[in-house]
Amino acid sequence: MWFSDFLQWLANTPFSITMRESTWAEPIVETVHVLTLTMFLGFAVLLDLRLLGVCLKRRKVSDVLGKLNPWLFGGFAVMVATGTLLFCADPVSFYSTFFLKAKMVMLVLAGLNVMVFNLTVGRKVAEWDLDPKTPRGAKVVGVVSIMLWVLIVAAGRAIAYVLPPP
Amino acid sequence: MWLKHLVLSFCQWCNNSFFGHGIRDSRWLFPFVEIFHLLALGVLGGTILIVNLRLLGFRFWGESSSELAREVRPWTLGSLAVMLVSGFLLFSTEAVKMYGNWAFQVKMSSLVLAILFTFTIHRKVAMSDESRVSPLWRRLVAVISLVLWAGVGLGGRAIGYVTTSVTSASVWMN
Repeated sequence: MWFSDFLQWLANTPFSITMRESTWAEPIVETVHVLTLTMFLGFAVLLDLRLLGVCLKRRKVSDVLGKLNPWLFGGFAVMVATGTLLFCADPVSFYSTFFLKAKMVMLVLAGLNVMVFNLTVGRKVAEWDLDPKTPRGAKVVGVVSIMLWVLIVAAGRAIAYVLPPP
Repeated sequence: MWLKHLVLSFCQWCNNSFFGHGIRDSRWLFPFVEIFHLLALGVLGGTILIVNLRLLGFRFWGESSSELAREVRPWTLGSLAVMLVSGFLLFSTEAVKMYGNWAFQVKMSSLVLAILFTFTIHRKVAMSDESRVSPLWRRLVAVISLVLWAGVGLGGRAIGYVTTSVTSASVWMN
């Protein structure tokens, strides 16, 4: 039960107490979380649409990846950082919700999906870089990615719904 | 005064409509609609941001801004439509309360300005030949667009934190 002890300890740290009790901390951090979402999700969808051969069809896939990746990684870092801060405000309650666990599992799956892409079709991207019609493997990765992000957003929304901010 | 009356009557009609009622009374419909609102927000924000970053001088794919703008346009329009429909449904569950919420008023004013700007000046500059518009003018248009859309987003974020006096609106109606 060391993990629940850890959450309990975290909840009692001065930092966690400040996050929980401050009037402005939660709204500000959540606003940054949501604003970054508009960038991250939007760019991730654009990339997925290229993998599906639906949007940005005449661009090289490697070019789309190269230009969007810095924004995606930067955005993801901000999302994780602000998400962790929000979690710290009430770790015990957050951890007790099903949706938070589901969200974490799906985030790991989204990461695995990126790895699968890099190890399979992504490695041979030079062969289909300019094809408006992308290989099936790329389409699968794109669809899985979109589905996972839809579910991740839904789970995130559900967390706040079953557990309203204090 | 008649305009205020009209808007408030409209809010009351929304409140009492079958969708306003239905979503308000259901445990899951509200978050369900909200998820669509959030997902469309991602696509809308992403496509608007990428065109504005291009206008600001970030060369994404070396092409002209008009080409990029044209390519993402269907996605901007589609997600905006989803935003408007889902946003209206969410609004209808507590329309009268929203009427008196200053954050909601900020959001709607920014939204009207943002849409007008997007479909007139912004569209014209983003779609035109780069050599015909000065870089300064292009950057200014991008900044104005980002500020207006940020106003919509921040106003929306603030709605939930603003405590409104519903009574002032209803008293005024009587």
